[in-house]
Amino acid sequence: MALLEPSTITILVLTGIFSSSIIFLISAGLQIVFGIQRILNLTVGSFYAIGAYVGITFINFFLKMGFSVVYGLLFLILAGLSLSFLGPTIERGVLNFVYKKEEAFQLLATFGLVLIFEDMIKLIWGSYPQISDFGILTYGEFRFLDTSFPVYYFLVIISAFLIAFLLEFFIKKTRQGKKMRSVADDIEMSEGLGVKVRNIYILSFTIGTVLGTLAGALIIPVTAAVLGMGIEAIVLAFAVVVIAGLGSMRGALLASLIVGLLQAFITFIFPELTTFVIYLIVIAVLLIKPTGLMGKEI
Amino acid sequence: MGLLEVLEVTKYYGDFKALDNVDLKINRDERISIIGPNGAGKTTLLNLISGLLKPTRGKIILEGKNITNMSPSERCKLGIVKSFQIPSYFPNLTTLDNLKVALISSLGKSKNFLKSYQQDEEINNLSERALEVFGLYERRNFLAKDLPHGDKKLLDVASAFALRPKLILLDEPTSGVSIKEKRDLMGTIMSALKEMEISSLILVEHDMDIVFNYSSRVVVLHNGKILDDSSPELVKANKEVASVMFGS
Amino acid sequence: MKKILSGNLFFTLILIALLALVPYIAPPFYVYLTLTSLAYIPVVIGFNILFGYTGLLSFGHGLFLALGMYTTAFLMRNYTMENLEVLILASALSAFIVGLGVGYICVKYTRIYFALLTLAFGMVFYTLLIKFTPITGGDEGLRITFKPLLLGLDFRYLPHLDFLFQPYYYYVLGIVIILTVLAYIIVSSHFGLSLKAIKENSEKAEALGINIKRFRLYSFVISAIYTSIGGALLAHITSHVTPIFSYWTTSGEIVFMTLLGGFTNFFGPIIGVFVYTLLRDFIMSTIIYWRILFGAALLLIIIFVPGGISEGLIRIYKHFKGA
Repeated sequence: MALLEPSTITILVLTGIFSSSIIFLISAGLQIVFGIQRILNLTVGSFYAIGAYVGITFINFFLKMGFSVVYGLLFLILAGLSLSFLGPTIERGVLNFVYKKEEAFQLLATFGLVLIFEDMIKLIWGSYPQISDFGILTYGEFRFLDTSFPVYYFLVIISAFLIAFLLEFFIKKTRQGKKMRSVADDIEMSEGLGVKVRNIYILSFTIGTVLGTLAGALIIPVTAAVLGMGIEAIVLAFAVVVIAGLGSMRGALLASLIVGLLQAFITFIFPELTTFVIYLIVIAVLLIKPTGLMGKEI
Repeated sequence: MGLLEVLEVTKYYGDFKALDNVDLKINRDERISIIGPNGAGKTTLLNLISGLLKPTRGKIILEGKNITNMSPSERCKLGIVKSFQIPSYFPNLTTLDNLKVALISSLGKSKNFLKSYQQDEEINNLSERALEVFGLYERRNFLAKDLPHGDKKLLDVASAFALRPKLILLDEPTSGVSIKEKRDLMGTIMSALKEMEISSLILVEHDMDIVFNYSSRVVVLHNGKILDDSSPELVKANKEVASVMFGS
Repeated sequence: MKKILSGNLFFTLILIALLALVPYIAPPFYVYLTLTSLAYIPVVIGFNILFGYTGLLSFGHGLFLALGMYTTAFLMRNYTMENLEVLILASALSAFIVGLGVGYICVKYTRIYFALLTLAFGMVFYTLLIKFTPITGGDEGLRITFKPLLLGLDFRYLPHLDFLFQPYYYYVLGIVIILTVLAYIIVSSHFGLSLKAIKENSEKAEALGINIKRFRLYSFVISAIYTSIGGALLAHITSHVTPIFSYWTTSGEIVFMTLLGGFTNFFGPIIGVFVYTLLRDFIMSTIIYWRILFGAALLLIIIFVPGGISEGLIRIYKHFKGA
């Protein structure tokens, strides 16, 4: 195809990997909560949206205070982390009441939360798209072949990998992480061994929350914050976790790459077919290997 | 001709060999007990016969027909029915409706879309009679989940019996029931067998009194193999069996 | 037949009489809302045959709603098909075919996987509707520009609203009564009891000889047909069919209406439809932040009264009877 010159391909691959990083953070948020609580937490899309809005508010505030734009990334990360309080609030306030209910109700409870957050955003920030004063070229450009990319892309990609690595380390090596895994394997036995399941639930949900808010905060130099962005994100992240296999972190990394790259290429070639192709893959995966690429047995 | 043949059946769970080349032939009108220490493969054997599991190697033949690859529901239609070790029932249906589900299925009526099941006299009569046989009639309108434990077990067995199977598989029908109630429960089950003209039975049971009182033949499993297969009296006298079973 | 309905017969008759009076006593706006609710009744009844009776949560039922609407609009525009009966049958037929295909795949899974798979199919259909502009009209959807014949009778001389509020209203009411009675018969049948058994304990149902996948598929197809017929009825009311009806938020609305009214009771979803349609309109016209209220309502229902309004009413009834 004439359109796909080497430079175009490079651009598409790089933007693909960039969106993969964002999608990975969101789907990692889904995975961790599903891995521990066995709940498919649609709310993570809302956390992503809130992260974006709060990120913009944060950064515009700091820039107005006279801080240099160089600290922009730091402020965004701060914005994402500052929203961690949502984790325990929602977990104790809502999820706590649905753990014993059927799966369908748990899913619907998070759907209810999505509706609530959707309007809360509208209530606070209004219906107009919000734009940050933090330009994407703040950190300059990187030249490669005939093209150039914002350095910011690389910073986000590196951050995502760093977070993936930290998560892996946390879950595999630390005491809390080991407790989390034991709760995921067998709740009753873990309780018997003195693990406070309640605390583990709060912890895993909070991690899931922060992954979402961070992803939202990090995306804002690239796009505006708009209503409905949370729902769009959840639709993609949901595709990722199904392809990955529910609960699998490494699967999420791989599937995010697949979805992110596909999204970049298909959007370029047949713009309107993106969701269609991604969901065809979802269906194909569910049919061929219902547990996903790297999921455990149902 | 035999009723059921298990031919050179081997079953692996991953690397663990649960059953090792087991051959077993069951004739009509036999009441067979399968005994053996924990992990000997009793429940595995039962699940292979009922179709919940598929063997790694070997065949299962019912009345000359190879049923190795059939699902539980297909085997059920051919006449093999299993009751569960942990009683299995429909918790939010009444006792009566629990039985009706079984009867509707066994009479091939489940695809009747337009007829009210509550006005089906045949189903009503049969289900009420079956409940009487099992002494559950008084509690016919209880939700199954509200029944006492022993009654749940009876309900599970009753719904299996309602299918009028050629061969019934009972997986520890008396587990979780007090010693005193055990005898009553077994007595009820045995009289129901007679009443409902079900003659072939495979029983997995830990209580040796029950095993030796109610079986016509006893099969001893040990480490996935058949150690002994004979009349209750002979098995009782077999020292090797005694050492495996009771460690004496 | 009489005996089946006797418990609910009295209330049902009163409800039907009230519904028949609505065009005469209610302001036009409420007639419109009632008519919309009526069209949604087959939708939620269909959804609940799958959810409440078979235990499968579809998060993609918008697909079948949109299917009925698009089948109707497509046949009217391209083949000037005008008999409403034919349009309804065509919608049912398309739902039968699509439901059989999609259902065949979906019923291999249960629980959350079933919900996810149906959601995915709904989304695929949504993107197809947007993409295949020559057939579907893309983002804009399709407009229905003329009125259908009702039982062969031509009402085209009537202004649009008069048509909707008189002949069409009673036509829809009639169809909905027939479909509701039929659904009631189905769930009270041998088949219906077998579905409940599958929902309650599928392993046991299978052990009793019920072919659970086949039965789930039957339930799926019946559900799809009901929902699609609802779509066919709705299409003439909105006069405009758009891809949004296949989007997951619409599927979510169908779930919400059913839960609101109560999925454990046959009549629950019907109550849910009326309450939801009226409330949504009331709330949406008074506050713009209606999602907060619906989200909160959904949470409260799930946590405190999973059986919805119908369970709540039964609790209140028992309370007073007991006291």
